[in-house]
Amino acid sequence: MSTFTFATAQYESGDWDSSPLVPANLIDSIARYTEIDVSPSGVIVPLGSDAALRYPLLYLTGHLPVRFTAQEKQVLTRFIERGGLLFVDDHNHDIDGMFHKTVTEELRSVAGPLAKIPNSHPLYSAFFRFEDGPPNTSHELNGWGDNLLHPYLMAAQREGRISVLYSNKDYSSEWNFHPDNKRFYSVDNTRFGVNLVVYALTR
Amino acid sequence: MPSPGKRRFFEQGCRVLALAALGTLIWRAWRPPMSGERPVVTRSTASIPSALARATRAPLAALDLTIDSLPGPRDRAWARAVAATGTVVRWRRARDLRPDVDSLHAWAPLATALEPIADPSGRVRLVALGPPGSSLAIGDQAGSVDSTKLSRTGTRTLDAMLDGLVTARIPGGVSSSARRDSLVVRPVLVLADAGWEGKFIVAALEEAGWRVDARFAVAPQVSVRQGRDVPIDTAHYSAVIAVDASVVPRAASIVRFVRDGGGLIVGGAAASLPSLVGILPARGAAAVSPTLGAVVSEEPRRGLDGVELTLARNGALVLDRTAGRVRVAAARVGVGRVLVLGYDDTWRWRMEGGADAPRLHRAWWSAMAASVVRAPLVALEGTPDVDETPFASLVASLGMPDDAPRAARPPLSSTAWEPVLFALVLGALLTEWTSRRFRGAR
Repeated sequence: MSTFTFATAQYESGDWDSSPLVPANLIDSIARYTEIDVSPSGVIVPLGSDAALRYPLLYLTGHLPVRFTAQEKQVLTRFIERGGLLFVDDHNHDIDGMFHKTVTEELRSVAGPLAKIPNSHPLYSAFFRFEDGPPNTSHELNGWGDNLLHPYLMAAQREGRISVLYSNKDYSSEWNFHPDNKRFYSVDNTRFGVNLVVYALTR
Repeated sequence: MPSPGKRRFFEQGCRVLALAALGTLIWRAWRPPMSGERPVVTRSTASIPSALARATRAPLAALDLTIDSLPGPRDRAWARAVAATGTVVRWRRARDLRPDVDSLHAWAPLATALEPIADPSGRVRLVALGPPGSSLAIGDQAGSVDSTKLSRTGTRTLDAMLDGLVTARIPGGVSSSARRDSLVVRPVLVLADAGWEGKFIVAALEEAGWRVDARFAVAPQVSVRQGRDVPIDTAHYSAVIAVDASVVPRAASIVRFVRDGGGLIVGGAAASLPSLVGILPARGAAAVSPTLGAVVSEEPRRGLDGVELTLARNGALVLDRTAGRVRVAAARVGVGRVLVLGYDDTWRWRMEGGADAPRLHRAWWSAMAASVVRAPLVALEGTPDVDETPFASLVASLGMPDDAPRAARPPLSSTAWEPVLFALVLGALLTEWTSRRFRGAR
């Protein structure tokens, strides 16, 4: 019985490590709310390596332009074809930003077009229930980035399952804090991260 | 005017003549065939219908059929009917067909059978028997399906989508078959903790076409459900896949389900659960370490973690070994079937394996499910006429080749004398009656 290990994708262009506390925070939430056998520490896995195929859920974020290498595209294509789920979050939450423009272009070339997913999607009820779709982040509400509230997430799907989940909501900033500080929140803002992991492990 | 005495003598003569003609008619109808009558001989299968038509119009003493390809069901039934009227019907193989092979060996195996299999894509299994090494062409109502050679044992098994009447042709014969039954395959239920193994089992089965319900345990009293919330019984499910210890709360239902005829697959992580141990064909024993790098080799399952199995039930069957260790075992339990896997984390095969790994992983899981599912047969209506065993039917109709005559009773005569004799009977009786009336007698 394998243990779930949270994996962050390391790509050659851009700043893949812009949210170093997200893995520990989500791992803490998974252990806190579920019985999922989760590894206490995450891993960083090169996107251009076959090792990426050992982790069917990959987290990818950054602020800077993203250009996948040929090797990264090849591994990512296999990853998606075999049933992996790549979660990409725009750390700028800026639809005019370079990360958004470049990474969506790259994702389209390996996974096909991204489309809005409805707020009734099983992702929003996999564990916690989010009636209104993806929860807003404080960075959206504070008017940073593109000064927009993004009411939906986008995804590429394969065989009825999400293969690439794309967010402009900047969860990478929202979740980038030490898990001990959760006690200062009236509502844990990482709960949607739990849904993401549970969805990946069950759909 | 003849005297009454002469007239009586004349009338007596007419009666004798009528009786003699009647007796001749009866004798000709029932006499044994005369040695001088030559049988009608055909030179090929194509000429059989014309010979049978001739025998039908005017019964023959004997019909020798020379066959260069197996006649169809209509000609066989026709020949059998002709034989039943008394014509001796014999058959033999054309000498130029396969001089090196005995006729029985050349034709005897030609037979096909079509049976449904528990395959969600609707494929059926065609089994063809024929002369070893012969060319075999398989087709259905949609056209040609496959062209191949029969094996050295004279067999060929094909799992394919086949519609309507299916034909199998070899040189000198054609056999046809059709589905008579259909299988009722209900969904498969996957029970697992939230994890990659359960997720990818569901994905593989769904991609293979199975209908799958799933329960993934996520937290105490919390599970992610896919599909309906219905009891575990044979009315709702064909098989259950118990991936790990998350099945314990449902173990009693699962045992009952198996005893009622359901199928069960138990993953390596559940192979030693006390609540299931009474129905398992094998139990998990020593842990097996994966062979590094093997998951991308031609034996990818050697690269998987798991346990070695030890058989725990009489009649348990070993289905798979790696490096001499039992890794998959199965057995019947009651009317159900149980299969135990000694592999953990088969998802690694799909994700990390070679180029064809997703397809192989999907096919493997589909085969595992197909091997245990409960799938009752339902007869189909409107099955077309088939000819599955043309050679056996030929032998059943006409006996073995060059066999002894199989006349049901002595043949009827076939000459033109019957009308003459019949007219003679009528004429003699009419003359005798007229003569009596003219002389005033009744």
